[in-house]
Amino acid sequence: MKRMLAASLAAVMLTSLSACGQKKAVEKQEMDVTIDQIALGEDYTDIEADLKFLTHKTDVVDTTFKGYIEEFQKLYPKVNIEYEGITDYANDITTRLTTGDWGDICMVPTTVDKDELGNYFTKLGDKGTLAKSYEENMLNNFTYQDTVYGIPSMANVQGIIYNKAVFEKAGITELPKTPDEFLDDLQKIKDKTDVEAPLYTNFAAGWTMTAWDAYIDGGATGDPDFANTGLAKGKDPFADRGDETGPYAVYNTLYEAVKRGLTEEDPTTTDWEGSKGKLNNGEIGCMALGSWSVVQIQQAGEHADDIGYMTFPITVNGKQYASAGPDYNYGINCNSSKDNQIAAMCYIKWLVEKSGFAQGEGGLSVVIGDEYPEALKALDGIELVVNNPAEAGEENLFNDINNDSELGINVSGAVPTQIVEEAVSGSKTIEEMSAEWNEKWTAAQESNGVTH
Amino acid sequence: MNEKKNFKSWIQSGKVNRKLCIFVFMLIPVTLLVVFTYIPFFKMIGFSFYDMKYIGDREFIGLQNYMEVFTRKDCFQALKLSLYYIVASFIQLALALYFASVLSFKVKGSGVFKGLMFFPYLVCGIAVGFIFKFFYTRGFVLDTVLQWCGFNLDQLPYWLKDTSINNISVAATSIWRYMGQGMVMFIGAIMSVDASLYEAGDIDGANSFQKFIYIILPNIKTIIVLNMILSITGSLSVFEPPYVITGGDFGTGTYFVIMNKLAHESQKVGLASAMAVVLLILIMIATLIQKGIEKYYFGVGDAEPLREIRKRKKRLELEARGGAR
Repeated sequence: MKRMLAASLAAVMLTSLSACGQKKAVEKQEMDVTIDQIALGEDYTDIEADLKFLTHKTDVVDTTFKGYIEEFQKLYPKVNIEYEGITDYANDITTRLTTGDWGDICMVPTTVDKDELGNYFTKLGDKGTLAKSYEENMLNNFTYQDTVYGIPSMANVQGIIYNKAVFEKAGITELPKTPDEFLDDLQKIKDKTDVEAPLYTNFAAGWTMTAWDAYIDGGATGDPDFANTGLAKGKDPFADRGDETGPYAVYNTLYEAVKRGLTEEDPTTTDWEGSKGKLNNGEIGCMALGSWSVVQIQQAGEHADDIGYMTFPITVNGKQYASAGPDYNYGINCNSSKDNQIAAMCYIKWLVEKSGFAQGEGGLSVVIGDEYPEALKALDGIELVVNNPAEAGEENLFNDINNDSELGINVSGAVPTQIVEEAVSGSKTIEEMSAEWNEKWTAAQESNGVTH
Repeated sequence: MNEKKNFKSWIQSGKVNRKLCIFVFMLIPVTLLVVFTYIPFFKMIGFSFYDMKYIGDREFIGLQNYMEVFTRKDCFQALKLSLYYIVASFIQLALALYFASVLSFKVKGSGVFKGLMFFPYLVCGIAVGFIFKFFYTRGFVLDTVLQWCGFNLDQLPYWLKDTSINNISVAATSIWRYMGQGMVMFIGAIMSVDASLYEAGDIDGANSFQKFIYIILPNIKTIIVLNMILSITGSLSVFEPPYVITGGDFGTGTYFVIMNKLAHESQKVGLASAMAVVLLILIMIATLIQKGIEKYYFGVGDAEPLREIRKRKKRLELEARGGAR
């Protein structure tokens, strides 16, 4: 009996193993159509396809997106679209991508290296051609060797969302332009009003801390090459520049704000959902969040008119800049059938150009000629800086250094998190921390072949 | 026709039939076990030898990941936090044992108490995390209750921010959650104690405490030791409470939380896999040591402890020598 058991066990193991070994041959479907060649509502209107769309916007899957499907089906009646909202999108999507048959359209995760894009996503067009209708720099994130694999659903500006009424009450008439002015203003708010926190960090939510990473490149330097050159290849990018600009100035602002008690009492128990209403009601002075937050905060209470958006208070040579960059990009599974890919292209094109998604979310549209949404009108006149692409052959450099150094810039918020922790406990100064970051960063640069 | 009949009778014959039954019934659980436990596990061991991300090329680097695990400061630093959870697990076992022995005697409303104390175990770990996040928030539940007791809000620490106390706060949540489970296991063990032993104790005039020490404790020895092993191995691999309540910030990041951060935020999958393998080995070593100690001092099941056997041997030897003299 025992032998029988062992034999059956072995048989089961073998079958399951071989089932594993015989990977379903997912064939990559070469496409000859690109997104710019499609005329919406004219080409392929009788195409038949069932599309599956993975999205991070779990809140509007059953509302806004349903409306989009209905609108889209007026043009393409035989295309069915099924949305799947994923709560922990950034983590789950990477794992699902590796399986090959995850669906047809998804929001491209930042974890895919540029030279890998072609193995997972369909070519949407050449950069030069697409740049005629979309903002060229917004296409950089998922472009490899002039081939575009992702089109941004919208673009964000990185600034600070604040409550105008609170600022007025504290006697602040002019928006701060330097970190020092900003900290002084926060102090005024603390002294003259009874807000819970002049600056609310939303520390406990974790992802909210990455907003601070987003200020350090274009916004803090005014240099569109800073992210891929100054940061990735420069020597000691986190060092104090002495003129209140650069990454150090951004991080120091957070450090000083926490240290001077200008943030909430207990960062470990902050509550993101609750903070939206509090900012709306004037219980919070301001928060560091991308422009996507404006609409959400306006809708979180009755004081939508009080919500304003300003650029991060850094002035470079007398001029203010704001980093702008694409939000999640739409990408198409290159393993889907040809019909599905074409239908997916039609839908993406429609979403970007006709759906009004970007404006509804309070973001900038990437289509050339579209206007700023109402909430961001205050940014008019401030120069938006969109990062330039990395040089050919160095597309992965920033990601690699970022991962190896474990600083997780724009990914995990490890740096701002550490700043808050140290500012609270007071065990390390900002100089010590920036030296530490420089050390880690330099080591990672060296292991990736960057020498000074 | 003839052949078919033969096959039918062959398959219905007792010997074949029995084997077939075993095979068919085993098929599903074994497949599930292999597919969802063993294949991923061996894959993970494979990953630990590579420099890899989730997506993209893998590079074989041999034992380099393991070397990094042992040279990094944060990995083993994080294991120190396990001490908090080990202490918590002993408190939890003591409480569980106390309640179990009280509730297994005739107590009014013992059913209700058992239910109430077991309930936290049924709540999912993530939910427990959220409950305690609000429980510890400044001015919320815990602070309010303590203020009723006459404390001033200014005297109270920030339960999750203050690094001298936050690990205790987080570890306390696992006492709350697992105490009931331990209690139910102990009650089950106590129930299985032969009732005639209590009667004998009564006749000899033993009080409740003596009954506990001399009757209950020796009889549920095995289950206590089992619970201890589970608690210690569990303490080494704590994940949910710190991950949900504090996100591992302010010095509460346990080994697992750090592993998760490395794998998901820095995309160092190989390194994280190596950490997992190292932890597995550590847990195995810890279990073996515990087993050894148990065998030596307490004996396994009905077997006598090694220490007793050795003592007796020595005594016998001495006696034998004495006799010879």
